[in-house]
Amino acid sequence: MRTLSEALAEAARTDEGYVFVANGIETRRSYADLRLASLGVARALREAGLRPGDLAALVIGDAEQFLTTLFGASVAGVIPASLYPPVAAGNPSAYLEATARIIRLAGARAVITTSALRQQFDDMRPSCPSIDVVLSRDTLDAPPLKPDHMASLDDIALVQFTSGSTAVPKGVVLTHRNLSANIDAINGPAGLGSSTTDSAVSWLPLCHDMGLIGMALGPLYCGRPAVLLAPQAFVKRPAEWLRAISRHRATVSFAPSFAYALCVRRVKDRDLESLDLSCWRVAGCGGEPIHASTLAAFAERFAPVGFREASFLPSYGLAEHVVAATFAPRGRPPRVEQVSADDLTERRTAIPKNGTAGSAVTLVSCGRPFPGHRLRIVDEQGRELPERQVGEITLAGPSVMQSYYKRDALTAATLRNGWLYTGDLGYVSGGELFVCGRVKDMIIVNGRKYHPQDLEWGVEDLAGLRRGRIVAFSAPRHGGPDRVIIVAEPSGTVPSDILSDAIRRRIGDLCGLSVDDVVLVPSGTVARTTSGKVQRAAIKARYERGELATAGVEHAGVRA
Amino acid sequence: MPQPVPAQIEAGVVEVLKTVSRRRPIEPTLESDLLVDLGFDSLQVLEVIAELEDRFDVSIPLNDVPTTRTVAQVVARVAALVDGRANA
Repeated sequence: MRTLSEALAEAARTDEGYVFVANGIETRRSYADLRLASLGVARALREAGLRPGDLAALVIGDAEQFLTTLFGASVAGVIPASLYPPVAAGNPSAYLEATARIIRLAGARAVITTSALRQQFDDMRPSCPSIDVVLSRDTLDAPPLKPDHMASLDDIALVQFTSGSTAVPKGVVLTHRNLSANIDAINGPAGLGSSTTDSAVSWLPLCHDMGLIGMALGPLYCGRPAVLLAPQAFVKRPAEWLRAISRHRATVSFAPSFAYALCVRRVKDRDLESLDLSCWRVAGCGGEPIHASTLAAFAERFAPVGFREASFLPSYGLAEHVVAATFAPRGRPPRVEQVSADDLTERRTAIPKNGTAGSAVTLVSCGRPFPGHRLRIVDEQGRELPERQVGEITLAGPSVMQSYYKRDALTAATLRNGWLYTGDLGYVSGGELFVCGRVKDMIIVNGRKYHPQDLEWGVEDLAGLRRGRIVAFSAPRHGGPDRVIIVAEPSGTVPSDILSDAIRRRIGDLCGLSVDDVVLVPSGTVARTTSGKVQRAAIKARYERGELATAGVEHAGVRA
Repeated sequence: MPQPVPAQIEAGVVEVLKTVSRRRPIEPTLESDLLVDLGFDSLQVLEVIAELEDRFDVSIPLNDVPTTRTVAQVVARVAALVDGRANA
């Protein structure tokens, strides 16, 4: 068990480091150099008046700047909180508003950001009174601080505002012990079985648990190299990811299922010529539901350039459990089960599908929990269920987060008697976990989670909508990402087509998400519970059965 | 190679948009908004950029993305970049 500073100091004694790839240019920085830069940041933070225990919000897109700031804060005893930088396609004011909400909840004393965003965070001070200092990362290069703060394993290492909703932000509090326990398990014999010949490649964002902890800190904690690409470089040209693996002879790389699908769809035949993926011994997959057909298609497409299906390592995890909870065994092709769809949804039982009657669901095994960690499937009363019974996945052990930052009620609802209630549904078969849905409403598109209430609250101030009478949800789409649907009650003051456009535009601005269907319904359709919450599941069921009536004012007398 | 004139650029942009929008048939006009009218998400917008770069042999900075929302804006941006390359 080590603190982040100790792990960094140990890695600095090796010759290894990170390779940062930006705009096609590779820059190698040793862990020793990065540690020196981090000690400089630590001194600058001290000089700016930050004290151990203060929380600093990090809003930095550049990988090297982000990591040295995170390490520097850690050395100085300042708690780093990672926040999403603005998305390229989004609207800056909606982004800043959501970010201000997180800063208020976290009571951040400092914001550390880029020179481009500094002014905007300075302007946020009146609405965020906790902010004492807004610092541009560019100004934080000082002579190294002689480390004077010794963190304990039970101090907070990091607060991750990643999986939380922007309307009701959730900051996952992780101690150094949490980080070390999970990373050591990942690198250990039941995980990657890391050795001195391993190296990693990743394009995952560092404000996300799999990108930061899995792919950047994981290699650092075992003194191995990692090549870090910008996420947008991958999304723009998926072949860049595979080229980096091939060129650097990387052995480990993780990504959500959608990334493998993107490669199948967009990597061109001419890109294959220069690839040799025979070095890739662990092709990790997790972070969103894993589609067996996607993995099979990827294996088939890239087998000619040396990819082995047995390299796939499906996994399950969540930020509340640092990053990883279960890993499938290494060196085995994905274990796939076909179960009856009706039994799964209606009887909450996973019965292997035989014959042709009824429809089947194909699920991929996510493997077993790590040594020293436990997993139980439980019913609504918290009672453990036998194998093949579907229930909520709960986890216990040294990787379980401490709390949601300053959210006591939410923490109490999520951590019960030492168990983390994940909100995900699954069953165990042959000792291995199969994930098959979610207890909580959540919209997952391209590996990113969106909370329905964020979309609902995001549009409710639009002219022509009845406040609080808006429902957002997703529905599966065959062979593609989930469809996003908005159901809303119009007030009758704005023509329907203009209102629908306004809803689509606002949600695009908020999160770069495309809405597949807007349904405007008559008053009273969007039912509420006695506590005033919208009944999302009821509306969704009516939508799927095609039972929703439409309402609204036609534009200029033209009927659609 | 002769430089494409704006009409060819417009046709090329429309073809790229149609290719990227596999999920549903679209009929882009100059006024169409990529996000609202054509239903592109942020991933597809980046795919559009990559395809445009390949087709027109230009490099489109990602900083341009937030201000380039309609087909007309995309065509204008590509035309300016093609022009810049011709004059370089």
